[in-house]
Amino acid sequence: MESRETRLIAGKGQYADDLDFPGMAHLVFVGSPYGHAKIVSLSVEKALAVPGVLAVLTGEDMVAHTNPLPVQANFKSPGWTWRLADVYAMPRDKVRWYGEPVAAVVAEDEITARRAAELVEVAYKVLEVTGNALEALEPESPKLYDDWEDNKQVHLKFDFGDPEGAFAEADQVMHITNREGRVTGLPIEARGCVAQYDTKMDSLEMWGSFQTPYLSRHNIAATLGMPEVKVRINAVDIGGAFGLKIHAWKENVVALASKLTARPVKWFEPLKDFIVTGPHQRDVFWEGDVAFNNDGTLLGVKATVTHDLGVESTNKGIAALSIFPACSAVPNMYHWKGMHIEGIGAVTNKSFYCAYRGYGKDKGIKFIEHALNRIARKLGMTPEAIRLKNYIQPHEFPYHQINSYVYDSGDYPGTLNKALEMADVDHYRAEKEKCLEEGRYIGIGVVSAIEPAGVAVPNCQMGGITQARVQITADGTIEIHSDRTEIGQGSEVSHAIIVSDILGCKREDILVKRVTSDYIGQGPLSSRGAVYPASAVAKAAKMLKKKVVTCAATFLKAPEESIVMEDGMIFSIDHPEEKLTYGQLSEKALFFPGPRGLPVEMLKNHDHLLDVTTTWYSPTTPESGSSYTSFCTSADIAVVEVDIETGATKIIKYVHVHDAGTIINKQIVDGQIHGGIVQGIGEALSERLDYDTDGRLLTTSFSTYLIPTAVEAPDIEVAHLETPSPFTETGSKGMGEAPIIGSKAVILAAIEDALSPYDIVVNDSPASPERVRKWVVEALKRQEEAQ
Amino acid sequence: MKMQVQLNVNDTTHQLEIDANATLLEVLRNLTRHQSVHRSCEEGECGACTVLMDGQPVNSCLILAASVQGNRIMTVEGLMKGDTLHPLMKAFTDELGLQCGFCTPGMVMSAYALVNQWEEEVLSDMDIRKAIEGNLCRCTGYVNIVKSIRRAKAAKDAGNWW
Repeated sequence: MESRETRLIAGKGQYADDLDFPGMAHLVFVGSPYGHAKIVSLSVEKALAVPGVLAVLTGEDMVAHTNPLPVQANFKSPGWTWRLADVYAMPRDKVRWYGEPVAAVVAEDEITARRAAELVEVAYKVLEVTGNALEALEPESPKLYDDWEDNKQVHLKFDFGDPEGAFAEADQVMHITNREGRVTGLPIEARGCVAQYDTKMDSLEMWGSFQTPYLSRHNIAATLGMPEVKVRINAVDIGGAFGLKIHAWKENVVALASKLTARPVKWFEPLKDFIVTGPHQRDVFWEGDVAFNNDGTLLGVKATVTHDLGVESTNKGIAALSIFPACSAVPNMYHWKGMHIEGIGAVTNKSFYCAYRGYGKDKGIKFIEHALNRIARKLGMTPEAIRLKNYIQPHEFPYHQINSYVYDSGDYPGTLNKALEMADVDHYRAEKEKCLEEGRYIGIGVVSAIEPAGVAVPNCQMGGITQARVQITADGTIEIHSDRTEIGQGSEVSHAIIVSDILGCKREDILVKRVTSDYIGQGPLSSRGAVYPASAVAKAAKMLKKKVVTCAATFLKAPEESIVMEDGMIFSIDHPEEKLTYGQLSEKALFFPGPRGLPVEMLKNHDHLLDVTTTWYSPTTPESGSSYTSFCTSADIAVVEVDIETGATKIIKYVHVHDAGTIINKQIVDGQIHGGIVQGIGEALSERLDYDTDGRLLTTSFSTYLIPTAVEAPDIEVAHLETPSPFTETGSKGMGEAPIIGSKAVILAAIEDALSPYDIVVNDSPASPERVRKWVVEALKRQEEAQ
Repeated sequence: MKMQVQLNVNDTTHQLEIDANATLLEVLRNLTRHQSVHRSCEEGECGACTVLMDGQPVNSCLILAASVQGNRIMTVEGLMKGDTLHPLMKAFTDELGLQCGFCTPGMVMSAYALVNQWEEEVLSDMDIRKAIEGNLCRCTGYVNIVKSIRRAKAAKDAGNWW
């Protein structure tokens, strides 16, 4: 079978925008021009009068024909704040963020829909905007949701280990603040789908850029008030996702439009809308104290992280859920005595918050890695020395971290030492000193991280659900089903490799099926692909292998233990000249002679088909409560040169050493590493969603929201360790997020090191040229004043 | 306003009735059905809609279809020989120079223009990076794309090219 890569490069991709159905209508959204306003009146008459317009849906239609959006995560528990808003896919009386859709125009073609969208007349009464989290938490701040006491959506409080004891015995305490700008993952393809409502069957089928079809089915069915069994969601080729396409919301409106017009309806989102009304991330402010001893021993942390969640309108708790990993990631890969971490989420008049590569793990680790570098500098230690002193050691696994995570395996010192060797840090440190004499500023950043992967938490839709099926068809080809959509991260190739290794079948005889809502699962999120779905697929293949062996032993009249499967052939080691192909075996088992030719026991057990559907759940989570199953490790070292006149940062060298356990396919793992690192570099240096004081987003295109181009992206040197995870079926660990976690932290660390002669603390991102320049000017002023 | 145009795409002439203000991107996607040409930013920034016009990469979202009647337009479909991948495309699949694949056809066209016209012996990584600067990719970090293009140059040097 033609590989996915061959198909895509030949231009035969089938992305959402390529979907075309007979009689298909097109939907275009109308967005609010204000950040916060009352809808005084809304008239669709002129739009409806345009020839070719079929319908205009508004908030009134949402109330009339749909349910409020369903709850996706609910952690109401004693002592914690956890608020949810009762909202519809489009609002009836109030807009809460710039771009929020107030109407959807459906027309015969997209151009007509666009023209008619301009004729939807809305009168607004502008309200005061709540512009950021700290403002939102002020008592006099305007409230976003009338029935809430204030704008605080979430307040979580965690005590890990013995925080008081840690601070009581510490030689020193350092105060740390750290801020991150608001960003978006922004794949090059925006969201899109086609909905087809069958009015005879009262059923709905959708195709599109769905990262998690099973969850989308649940949420879309709930919104439309349909039984889930009457809804089917199909993922097509997805032009990148990074978490941003998990959450269906505008898609609900497209589904309703199809139902009301009895036509297939297509929506392909303009890129600008994807930035303005898409999921956002980061935008946090950390403040806290780190306790340590004079010899560099780490003891404890007391810190609070405040999140600017934007509106709580569309994903009902999933945004707030990311505050858990932000808090729990702080211990990273070190020994600690105790921590007290609080996570606050405030709502503001900005687009909603949802998943993006990292999902909070990045935030906790960035905070603590920044703190470690500052402590090391204060103590006169190298950044590697403080890490090597505090690492959990290879003999300590499985390690029960103070936050209740169970770390599976790893060689933390080995990973960092390998990176130090590759980066030749001594050379660059000497270079740094030499360059300083010439007025050039070289910096070396060192960061190491674990990546908690494969989430399974209670009280939400991210509970650790997964299902897989492996079937040998009558002609001997093999199909694999799972919940793991292909978003460019290599699901299809990985699953084909896993199954061909277990069954000894040929890769070209395997088809990894496109993911639909037919199979239960969270899909690829939280880097769970190599943890949950891959384990379920491997488990199904192993179960299937047993059946193949029994059937083959029967047909070849040989003992089961003598059966060998390799390179697509099945035979007994006792009679290797008599071989069956998978096609021959399957035809025998199904038709000639069929089940009656199989062992009696197999038939009595109803176990005769070469088809296995199974599920998988983490072996560590049930007893330990560990929210994650695998913890891959990475060490990043970056060397940068900062031009203090322009503020520009140039990356001279980038080294990444990775330990993701058993590697299924090195090319894929390397590709994930390269891509994640460059996204992190974008976040560290240039990406920022900027709202003005009226709540309007200013950075709505690639010319203002600056993702790295090929020229800004560095060469990246990668090396691997392979410490298998004892807890997954394949020994592999989830690894999609580690690269972004390490890279954004290490670039900032390197800049701070470069600017160390000025004593500049790089605790805000992005470290854009204008910001670096500002820091330098301020530092020069401080130095002048001191003299 | 509708108008009749003749467009040469991948050496095939198409006789079409188009809106006078239709972009080349719209016409390629919707009328001649070259869906490898992808729509994203529609303002010439992302490069997902890159095609070759007389051998030079252009953003088809910025060009009126009516204005390119005398020009030769080329898309990735035109690089194929039947079902056989062009050596440049093969280099991309060998080096995994694609992940989600959405930016890929545009990227391949820019890369083709670069390698095809490069007369000198050495093609540096920075030469490659500059040539694809207008093609944004969010998945690969460009590392394997640069490798793919380097490999394609080697294929061309070895006489494996068309």
